[in-house]
Amino acid sequence: MNSSAHLNSSSEALSELLVALADDELILGHRDSEWTGHSPILEEDIAFSNLAQDEIGHALVWLSINESIGGKSPDWMGFERKWNDFTCSHFVQYPKHDYAYTVVRQFLFDAAERIRLQSLKQSSFQPIKEAAKKILREEHYHLLHSQGLVERLGGATEESHRRMQEAVDAAFPQSLGLFEPLVHEGDLVKGSGMKPSSELQEEWLGYVVPILESATLLLPTKKSNGKFIAVCAPEYGGRSKQHTPHLQSLVADMQSVYQIAPESKW
Amino acid sequence: MDTQWETYEVFHQSKRGEPHEHVGAVHAPDPQMALHMARDQFARRLNCVSIWVVRSKDVTMTDYQDGDFFARTTDKSYRDPKAFEAPDKLHK
Repeated sequence: MNSSAHLNSSSEALSELLVALADDELILGHRDSEWTGHSPILEEDIAFSNLAQDEIGHALVWLSINESIGGKSPDWMGFERKWNDFTCSHFVQYPKHDYAYTVVRQFLFDAAERIRLQSLKQSSFQPIKEAAKKILREEHYHLLHSQGLVERLGGATEESHRRMQEAVDAAFPQSLGLFEPLVHEGDLVKGSGMKPSSELQEEWLGYVVPILESATLLLPTKKSNGKFIAVCAPEYGGRSKQHTPHLQSLVADMQSVYQIAPESKW
Repeated sequence: MDTQWETYEVFHQSKRGEPHEHVGAVHAPDPQMALHMARDQFARRLNCVSIWVVRSKDVTMTDYQDGDFFARTTDKSYRDPKAFEAPDKLHK
């Protein structure tokens, strides 16, 4: 382990990154779990229940590392923290809506997560590097699944195309919020070799735009010097704790059982 | 219009060299997605090194009504290998 890297990027900056990563996973995992018992077909019901477990498991990985550098316990972070102290993007807060929106959101998220993890795999902070490697192995199959559905539903029938395009229209500006820069991002870029959010977003666009376009789905981007650029306003706010009201009700729901008897041992 | 996806029979192998065993079926739009569905349904808890999926309608099968297909109407017990026992080790 390169200990100077840890010193260079303050633990405050590392903690901000770890909690943001965890919160995106935890909140999307909760949204995915809302499909349990309600998916359009049994196989997808099980697939999304699996996804939910996986994403929440990833949140636990990040929160455990956060605890090891002086943060609160994962249980405290999930069940005792105030909703307006989370730092997840707005994108993962929105209600699950219909299956088209769910599939598009999952695809945009999985692709973003993969690109972020590939970058974190190069981190000079060993625990993050190891976690990224481990999570990537699982995330690969999330992406194959959600991408498989996008590729098939985009142009399958008139109705599936219309609903997928509506989902893309709603989800795309929100999804740019996954790349809202962290407050202490500069420290991490300098200290642990992390790529800046803008660079991750550029790589992500290079991945998702051609796939959506070949699935006949259009999004507000243009190409300049061989790179895709988003031409809509990104929906920011989550990283600075400016949230949508949807997060408040989600967190209340998520914490409801725990709050009945906070001292209980599970 | 029938909007139901086709079914695929799923065969699961727990270890290299072991036979693929039929474990159930999944609905899927095509073979590739059927593998993903099968992974989620059957490979998360069982040990697994390989999965096969086969479109259910590509399986040619006997008819339960045709009982004679398997009937042994005359005594053929002389064919049964019952004079010796195969040790379990043979199967491992």
